[in-house]
Order: sequence, then C-alpha cells, then structure tokens
Amino acid sequence: MRRRHFLKLAAATSGAAVFGGVLTPRAARAAAKPQTLNLLYATAEADSEAVKLILPDFAAKFGIKLNLETYPYAALQQKVFAELASSSPHYDIMIVDTPWMPALTRKLEPLTPYLKEAKFNDLTDPNLKDFIPAAFYDSAVYQPVKSYLHFPGSPAEVDVAAIAKEGFEIYGLPIQSNVLTLAYRKDLFADPQEQKAFQDRYGKALKVPETWDDFAVVAEFYTRPDKRLYGTTLMPGTGDWATDDFKTLLACWGEDGHLVTDKFDLAFASPAGVEALAYYADLIQKRKVTPPGVTSFSWDDVTATFNAGLTAMAMNYHDMKLNPDVKGEVAYAMAPKKAGYGPHFGTWILSVNRYSRNKEWAYRAITWLTAGEAQVKMLEKQLHPTRVSVYQKAVADTALQNDFGNFYDVLGKSLNVGVGRARLSNYSDVSKAIAVAVNNAATGSQTPQAALNAAVPQVREMLKQAGYPVANG
Amino acid sequence: MASPAVSESLLAEPVPAQGAAEKSVRADMVLGWSLVAPALAILLVMTIAPAIYLLHASFFNFTLLNPDLKRFVGLENYAQVFADPTIRNGFFVTLMFVTIAVGLELLIGLGLACALAPRSLGNNLASTILLLPFAVTPVVSALIWRELLNPNYGWIDYYLQRIGIIGRPIEWLSSAPTAWVSMVGLDVWQWTPFVALILMAGLQGLSKEPQEAAAVDGANLWQTFWHVTLPQLRPFIAIAVLLRLVEAFKTFGTVQILTGGGPGRSTELINLTLYRVGLQNFQIGAAAAVGIVFLILLSLIVSQLLQVLGRNTELLG
Repeated sequence: MRRRHFLKLAAATSGAAVFGGVLTPRAARAAAKPQTLNLLYATAEADSEAVKLILPDFAAKFGIKLNLETYPYAALQQKVFAELASSSPHYDIMIVDTPWMPALTRKLEPLTPYLKEAKFNDLTDPNLKDFIPAAFYDSAVYQPVKSYLHFPGSPAEVDVAAIAKEGFEIYGLPIQSNVLTLAYRKDLFADPQEQKAFQDRYGKALKVPETWDDFAVVAEFYTRPDKRLYGTTLMPGTGDWATDDFKTLLACWGEDGHLVTDKFDLAFASPAGVEALAYYADLIQKRKVTPPGVTSFSWDDVTATFNAGLTAMAMNYHDMKLNPDVKGEVAYAMAPKKAGYGPHFGTWILSVNRYSRNKEWAYRAITWLTAGEAQVKMLEKQLHPTRVSVYQKAVADTALQNDFGNFYDVLGKSLNVGVGRARLSNYSDVSKAIAVAVNNAATGSQTPQAALNAAVPQVREMLKQAGYPVANG
Repeated sequence: MASPAVSESLLAEPVPAQGAAEKSVRADMVLGWSLVAPALAILLVMTIAPAIYLLHASFFNFTLLNPDLKRFVGLENYAQVFADPTIRNGFFVTLMFVTIAVGLELLIGLGLACALAPRSLGNNLASTILLLPFAVTPVVSALIWRELLNPNYGWIDYYLQRIGIIGRPIEWLSSAPTAWVSMVGLDVWQWTPFVALILMAGLQGLSKEPQEAAAVDGANLWQTFWHVTLPQLRPFIAIAVLLRLVEAFKTFGTVQILTGGGPGRSTELINLTLYRVGLQNFQIGAAAAVGIVFLILLSLIVSQLLQVLGRNTELLG
C-alpha cells in the first residue's frame, strides 16, 4: 500500500470514528445487534424479581441476552455513579432513582431523539401518553444544564414536542413507582363494636381518615397501650424517610412539597412547614398515638410494627402483610389531605448509559421492558407499574385483588397527586439536615420552629457549596 | 587479614582497586534497590499516590461526575471543615466514642484476661466462646442489636421488664444518652474479647518469678497485680489499645445501621459524614479535606501511642 493511500484510509477511518461518536441516533441505528446487553438494577427496592420474570421473553423476542446485575440501594448509587464517573461502557442500561438524576444529566443518553425517530420504535411502541404524567415528568424529564428545574406546570399527558420546546430532555422511561400510601387494619375499622365505641366517643361515624385532622382523631381512638395497640406508626428516624414524611405534610399544608423551590427558597422552613412539623411532633409527643421507639423508625420498622399487629394504621411505600399470628385484614387508602394531597413519591427509571456501545439496542430494550405488556406480566411479582393502562388491568384482576386487596387502585390514584423531591445534586445532604430537624422535633429535643430554624443556615450553606445561586437569608 | 601480596598489589594499583570496590558497592546498591523496588512501587501506587491525590483534591471544588467543572478554591474546603458545626460535631462524637469504647474494652478485657489466664479446661472453653462476638460480621451484629433493642418486641426490654428492673420499655435509640449506651455497648460487646485475648496471651507469657518474689516479700494480690503484673503487661496493653484505636476510628457500618447517626446528630461519627459527602454526593474536594484533617488527627494520636509502645517495649527488654 502506498503511503498516500494509507494516509487516506487512516483519515477516512478516524473520520468515521469521530463522526460515529458524535452522531445522533440516526447513525447509531446502523450499530450491529449485540449478543448481550448489561442491565444494572436495584434489588427489592425496585422489584428485581419482577424484571427477572420477563428476561426469558426478551431473549426469545430479540435474540439478545439481557444480563441483569442487582445491587442493594446503598451500594447501587455508588455503583451507578462510579460507572458513569469512569465513563465505563460496561452497563448499557442503568436503573436510576429520582434524587440521583440532577447530578447525572451529563452522563445519561437523552432519549428524546430516539423517541422522535420511528425507526427506533419499530419493535415496541413506547406509548408515552400511557405513562402516569406526574410520575413521568418528575422522574424522567430534566433540563440538561439547569437540572434543578422542574418541568413547568402539570401536563395532563406526556408530550415529547412540548418537552423539547421547553428545552427539556427525557432521560429514561419509568419502570417502578413508589408513593406513600396509608395501610390500615380493615378488620378493626369494620368491627361493629369499634364503630359503636367511636360513635359514642366522638359523635360521628368511624371511617378511614381522609384528612389529617381525622387521622389524628382516629389514631387517638385506636391507641390502647395496655392492649399493645397504637393508632399509627410514623418514620421520623434520622434518615431520608423522616424527610419523606415531613414533605408529605408540607405539601398537604399548601407549601411547596419539594422542600426547596426551583428558585432556592427554603419552603420547608415556612410558617406552613412549622405548622406541619408541629402537627407531626404532636402525634408523637402530645397525642402519643405511636408505639414506643417510633422516633428511631425507618420504613423497615414501620413495616415490622404494622405487620406485627401493633398499630391500626401505617404509611409506607409498599403493600403490607400481617404476620400469620395476627388475625386481621389489610386495606389501603390515600395518605390524608389538608389543603390538598401531597404524598411523597419517587420513581425508578431505566436509562441508557451515554458511554454504552449499544445505545440503540439499549433504548429498544428499555421501551420493551417498560411497555404495558411487560408491566402487566411483572405485576405477578409485585411491580409498582408506571402506566395508566396497567393500573386499570391490575384493578380489574381478581387474583391481584385477592393477594393485594385495593393496593394497586390506591397506588395508581396516589401517583397522580404525588410530590417529588427538590432537584439538587446534593439532595442527600439537604435531606439529612431536614431529617435531623424532623427527628429533633419528634423527640421533643427542639420545638418545630427551632428545629427548622437550625436547619436553615445548614441547607443554605449546602446549596452554596453545590454552586446554586442561593440568596442570603 | 590480607596477604602481603594482596596488600602490595593494593598499594601498587590503588585506583583500579578502589574502582572495583566502588563497583561492588554500586552493585550492592543496585541489587538492594531492585529488591526493594517492588515494595516501593506498591507503596507508591497504593498509598503515597492516592494520598497526594487526596491532598490535591482537597484544594478544589469538584464532583467526581463532573471533573471538568473543577475549580481551585485553595483552603476553602478546610475552612469549611472547621466552620461547619455538623463536621465539628462529627469529630467530637468520634473522639468521645473512641475514648469511651476503647477505655471500657480495655478495663473489661483486662478483667476477663486475668480471670481466664490460668490454664484450665473451663478457661479454654470460655476463651473459645469469647471468640464468638468478634467473629460476627459487624453489620450483622448491628442488625441483631437493633432487633434486640426494639422496645416493642426486643428481648432486652422484654427481660428487663420480666425481672422487674424497668416498668416500661426503654426507647434505646430514641434519646441521645440511651443511643450512646447502645452504640458503645455494641462496640464493647464485639471487641472486648479481642482485647482480652491479647492481654491473656501476655499474661500467660509473663515470667512467674517476679510475682513469686513479691509474694515472698509480703505483697498482697492487688499490690502484686498493680506493681508487678501490670507494668510487665504494658506492651501488650499498648498493642491492644493501638489496634483498637485504629479500628474504632474507622467505625462506620455498625453505627450507620444501629442509629443512623441519630437521634438528631448525637451519634453521627465523622465517617458517616464522610460517607454522605464523598459517596452519596460525590463532592470529592470537600470529602478529601475532611479526610485529610481526620488523617492528621489520627496520625498525631497514633504517633503518640507508638512512642508509648516503644518506651514500654524497651522497659520489657
């Protein structure tokens, strides 16, 4: 080969390589079909058993083996961040939790171009309009540079054109939604003796509380420490769960339930925030409707306590199963309201690794894994679906009703009104500071006002440290 | 002694001979360095280079995910370490925890060692059982303790109530004092046997003669222990304390699971803060500054202890 020919060939090869790296999905389409795709996933937090159930179907349909690797929550975040920080192409698809997203927009492949291109959707219809809008916009739609912004308004359905027009991108497709729901002992509420006793004591009928005022009264009614029964459990232990409880109340009290607004106003420390936290602390300190040790509880303890039959009500992110020695029945309701509803929610999405060598097929896999048909099958293993149509099927399914009662009905309704988190790259820091305030108020070591006031300078400093344009208070 | 012929040749041709000696020395040096080189390379790659990177990182504001947005901030991260009350609290809680936990482990461990040092079948059996707590994975032991301490169905409150010591359940993890008791109690339960075994080995290796001499001189048991046995045991105590201090400063998993740093921030060790800043927020610069300050603090304490250890070893020798 002559030198000139060699140089031409080299130039052409490197040119192709360069353009191949920067071209949009149109070029990626030509990528060869891989034999395997690697999927990094959570464990029980996002119902990995449900995904395992449909892996053989994926292999049969696409002729591609989907390697599933699961990690428990704490390890998963480090794994996802470490893989992306090192620009590793190993995992083609990654599961991403909502609070991580603000830090990851530069590391995940925007899916909007793929969604717009029919050629990439030939095997599965992504049918975006079927996704629950609130969950979709909260978890998957981000502004690439100003990742702290939420998509404006409350769109009635997912609209790719509107998303692009506002300068936002879609970074994944939702696969599992968690939202705070109220579980209660149906047998206790249906008991005629309980109903009569409640009527005699309060002069009104006993029913599952729909408002926070009623919640406090009903919790008080069922609190009988001598019989080892308490009204409700909460989760004010020092952790994310305390913040979740509080932000639910904050939203119900009419404030911005994200805790920190998109303009970096500290909504959590507003008068409504103080009132909401005072209500929460009173349930524990004054009304004493919670079991001993509640101020160290996480959602795990809530599950264990309710399942052991120690409480009449409990709020959690998943369905509950009473222990075999507890004779009773569980049903679900939406977490109560005040000015409005505001249950905390968070949704797991499946995203394409920006450094994957199989982006096109990773995208196809995501659309298939999150499609209605796949989600219906995954219901068998307790997936919390993200599509309206799947909830409709779940509610009509008698086998699911036998296993989970009205859980899916309540889950679907709650997702429609759920409130997500502030979009901060250091959300865990901010959440921790607020959780400490909630915990201090719950234990009575500080007043709600003092606890929230103590968190204000900490959160403000954290926001500054993360580079957000926060004003001095 | 060199032969006269050799001496003459050395005198006659001093330059080549000196050159040969130098060559020999140089060859020895090359051989020496080449033997040490692998260890040095490992030390450089595994310890010194990361430490230099850590120091370098501590002068920047950057996250691991977006290293291109890295910004030089000088000593700002260090100023933040000393200005942030939550970080200062973390250092204070850590120092308190290490002091109390290791102190208790030493006292109880010494008592156990004295009781179990005489060789007998019963003591051998007891020593074997003693191994069990520190054979349990720390995270598992924390999970078990959390269940045991649950005021609603945990064994500890249940039996304390059954035998009439308490009237109603203690909410162990809900108030700062009881959370501290739980946190320190778990560490003491898990690591006292380790201290006891080191001290027991020390006691069993001590010469009997000084003790017998003390007895002949009329010393009672306490005087013998205080003036004869304990001074001899000091090197072992120093080793046990040194090893425990280093491990106790690294405590993370057990406290993260048992208390999560709560209630409030009352049990938030500095390692929990480091984890949040470094491995949840990936703010490498800020985490590096905390790490460097922690490293300096640890180095000061450990170097002091090593001096004590050295002094006592000389005493023994």
